[in-house]
Amino acid sequence: MSEDGKTSDAVDAQVLRSGTIRVRSEDDILRARQEARAVAEEIGFSTTDVTRIVTGVSELARNMHLYAEDGIMTWREIEAGRDSGIELVFDDEGPGIDDIQGVLRAEHSTSGGMGRGIQGTKKLMDAFDLTSNAEDGTTITVRKWQ
Amino acid sequence: MTASESAAVTQVYDVLIAAFPGRPTDQAVDNLQQEVLNQMNETDPRGVILDISEVTTLDSFFARVISETAGMVELMGGRAIVVGMRPSVAITAAELGFGLDSVDTARSTDHALLMLGVTVEDADDVAAESESEAATTHDDGDRSGSALSPGGGR
Repeated sequence: MSEDGKTSDAVDAQVLRSGTIRVRSEDDILRARQEARAVAEEIGFSTTDVTRIVTGVSELARNMHLYAEDGIMTWREIEAGRDSGIELVFDDEGPGIDDIQGVLRAEHSTSGGMGRGIQGTKKLMDAFDLTSNAEDGTTITVRKWQ
Repeated sequence: MTASESAAVTQVYDVLIAAFPGRPTDQAVDNLQQEVLNQMNETDPRGVILDISEVTTLDSFFARVISETAGMVELMGGRAIVVGMRPSVAITAAELGFGLDSVDTARSTDHALLMLGVTVEDADDVAAESESEAATTHDDGDRSGSALSPGGGR
């Protein structure tokens, strides 16, 4: 899609604090969920928004583990004006996604997970950005504002 | 994996209740499915209640396993009912676009037992049998057929 996606095209935001979780096992997926839950709760998201965020993390962390085996989730507490929110980046150096548009649209995926998970996660978040190619792997950035 | 992440399958009358742990690994979810089917085979229950009241994150994988488990229970001749979905989980699942299609749901375990045809009277009978004939009911409202209550139940 684009060359070197670092942050999403969305609003500029200030980063208040951040952390990373390396995801290379199922236990790490669990850890990523727990960390995202703790941060989202601390930021003050509603129970339903926390559930949306953690569910999205679960989908994206699992995909990363499934297709790239090894990757990193970075979370950031962000602020723009009066708005506070969370940004989550899933970055791997896996094989990349061949058909990005297909993945974003697919109602059912061929592998029984990916398309549905990514497409669903997009609905749960306020901003979603995906860059992927065979050289650099895949980076997915999502944001949720309070 | 700690004990609190592992699954629990218990039996109530002739119904299995499988309680999904709140924050399981994918492996723990798979294990519970296996455990439900094994116990189904051993105990031949009339139904299985899949209790997800502790579940705070129902992603597409977890939802698929629950649907599959319900389908397998039905293939084995039982009825599966999902109970206890939290409001936030229901909202998120609907937004993600996975309803638990073709899966029966109930508001509570009591409601699910009722749907499976387990009535309070059945329960009383079982209790009465196990206590031999020691019990005499005093409750005027008791309509249990087994009671030889002095009040003259109809």
